[in-house]
Amino acid sequence: MRPRSTTLAAWSLLAPFLLLFIVFTAYPIVRSLVLSTQQTFGPGTTVFVGTSNYRAIFDDPLFYKALLNTSIFTAGSVFIQLPLSLGLAMLLNRPDIRGRAFFRVIFFAPSLVGLVFVAMIFSLLLEKRTGLVNQVLHSWTGFPLDFPWMQQYAMGALIVAALWMYVGFNMVYFLAALQNVSPELDEAAQIDGAGPWQRFLNVTLPAIAPVGGFVVLLSIIGSFQLFELPWIMFQGPGYDNRALTVVMYLFQAGFEVGDLGYASAVGWILALILIGAALVQRAASRSHA
Amino acid sequence: MSSARRNQTKRSLEPFSALSVGGAVVLMLAVLSGAVLALRPVERRDSTQFWTFTRMHAAIYEPAIERWNAERPGQKLEMTVFSIPALERRTMSSFLARTAMAELLEVDRTIAQRTFGGPLEDIGFVDLTDRLAAEGLLDAINPPSFSAWTSRGRIFGIPHDVHPVMLAYRADLVEAAGIDLSHVETWDDFFAAMRPLMTDADGDGEPDRYLLNFWETHVESIETLLLQAGGGFFDAQGRPIIASDANARALAKLASWIGGPTRVAGDAPDFTASGNALKLNGYVASCLMPDWMCDIFQKEIPQLSGKLKLMPLPAFERGGRRTSVWGGSMLGISRTAADVEQCWQAAKHLYLSPELARQLYEDGDIISPVRSNWSDPIYDSPDPYFCGQAKGRMYIELADDIPPRPSSPFTLLARARVQEALMATAQRARVEPAPSIAELEAEARSRLAAADRAVRAAMARNRFHAQVLETSP
Repeated sequence: MRPRSTTLAAWSLLAPFLLLFIVFTAYPIVRSLVLSTQQTFGPGTTVFVGTSNYRAIFDDPLFYKALLNTSIFTAGSVFIQLPLSLGLAMLLNRPDIRGRAFFRVIFFAPSLVGLVFVAMIFSLLLEKRTGLVNQVLHSWTGFPLDFPWMQQYAMGALIVAALWMYVGFNMVYFLAALQNVSPELDEAAQIDGAGPWQRFLNVTLPAIAPVGGFVVLLSIIGSFQLFELPWIMFQGPGYDNRALTVVMYLFQAGFEVGDLGYASAVGWILALILIGAALVQRAASRSHA
Repeated sequence: MSSARRNQTKRSLEPFSALSVGGAVVLMLAVLSGAVLALRPVERRDSTQFWTFTRMHAAIYEPAIERWNAERPGQKLEMTVFSIPALERRTMSSFLARTAMAELLEVDRTIAQRTFGGPLEDIGFVDLTDRLAAEGLLDAINPPSFSAWTSRGRIFGIPHDVHPVMLAYRADLVEAAGIDLSHVETWDDFFAAMRPLMTDADGDGEPDRYLLNFWETHVESIETLLLQAGGGFFDAQGRPIIASDANARALAKLASWIGGPTRVAGDAPDFTASGNALKLNGYVASCLMPDWMCDIFQKEIPQLSGKLKLMPLPAFERGGRRTSVWGGSMLGISRTAADVEQCWQAAKHLYLSPELARQLYEDGDIISPVRSNWSDPIYDSPDPYFCGQAKGRMYIELADDIPPRPSSPFTLLARARVQEALMATAQRARVEPAPSIAELEAEARSRLAAADRAVRAAMARNRFHAQVLETSP
């Protein structure tokens, strides 16, 4: 049996963490779950409504629009941004490349700039009439100065802005993974007559798969939490809610309409989506292993 | 202490001996700093706190606060300026948690309306209706100015302003083109008279100038124009009137301004550098101009000095309203205030004095809502920015006629839904062949009906506002 004094000491050492965990993590999780079954009427009144908030969310076409927009952005991140990051990493991983550290810094630099700055830059670039993109296109091709990029292609504009910001950031992960791929394996495959594409598919990709899976998961989670970039770029959900994301929908419900119960329910749906994504990623990496 | 007790204590501390020196120091620091924080006495303020959200307002209040503090040494008033988002978060957090906050709060319409969601007795501001009535302020202050701060018939703030809206047009361009606007009465008259200004100088097939700064993304302007047309979002009882005839007619007209062959409006967004550049370049020949916007124009686009003139808004129909309302703030007293009477006196001192009204106009071009202040000759002084017009007097002449804006916690939702209705109607206007105004009106009516249903559905979920849906207009 463990001596009582040891148990006391263990609890004493654990107490600060436990206290912080209970106050700032466990209690808010439980409270938000309870809150998602309530409706808040203004600042001080709450009423139990059961699953009504969840039903109202699933009945609201705007939620599906937010979900669709967020999914489009996520797809852009996973299927455009990550392959580009991998491509850049492979370029920088070539043994014959000179100034690798310089290029690594150049590609990584945009992610140091900060979301607010990126949002401001892209909103100015894509502004109709005065934006650089329309000005250049107009002077070269007569493209209409009034073409509203941010109205017509809100998610496209967001994907491009995020691409500029994060492609170098993800490249660093892939570069680290590529540097751990055994050169002997690659050479052996080359001696066996495998071409570059076959070597990439059968040697490189399996070797970096764990890191790749991790980056995909991070990218999905980050994309589903998209908020600041469109909020600043479009000053809200944008034209016809084309830049509305799930987190923005949550923010509007909780902090603009004032219904914290509804917002909590949105938060739980988002959490379930992300948990689902994590489980799928885990299953995929296990089956791969 | 007995030796057995000492041994027991020693044994209980034994596991800590495994800690390194660094670990022990960290542990000790944690315990000490925790104790200091826990035992530190909470600072008690003996002054009345006043929060506001613009530096311009704060600069105006500073001398009044100094005067108040000099005259009443025991009732010190202290002001803090926050950005609107910070003020909004702090106010709402405090109302939600029922914690103490500033006793006096100057808030804008968005913040105020958000606090009106629950039962009246839960609203975080003190109900001022009886005090205002008892002191004759309901008549002394321009009556429509109370509407934005009223919920279910009770008033929760003293209005700061009136904010009538006029039309500012490029007098330099208009006069150079020999256009006479003196007979303009309606928007149709205005656009017909101004049409020669919509030219395509660079020959790209698109006009380089439009006649009005308005677009479907200008949410505030949409509401302003609907109110002018006799529409709006809610009636005085808080019932949605989104699907009203007045809104449908006005929305169809707005859609025809921004889409299709009848397009006359361009997009030069307010409060942005690019929008200001477009205004300066003459991309738009006129824009909606509430009184407070005059000050913003003078500060942000000083190059337009002497090039702009003001006129009452053209009406939607002959004999119709020639102004509207845009923006606004109020001064409320927090329910957590210890001495409501003292706060009430301070609020009146800050908002109702003639000196402050004068300062408000001098520094911010804002008309006081207190009618007795309107006789001040400062409002008759010519403004060189607006070609020497006495703009203060022009705004005052319209002040009685500003439309009421009944307040509702669902205003933001209504505004978003009506904006969507305008977008859809404008899309219809852009489709070939161009629809007639009657067809656009039918489209607007159907879109507004959908918007009205969405707002009613949201209201039906709120038990304190659902009951108004069952009452008849």
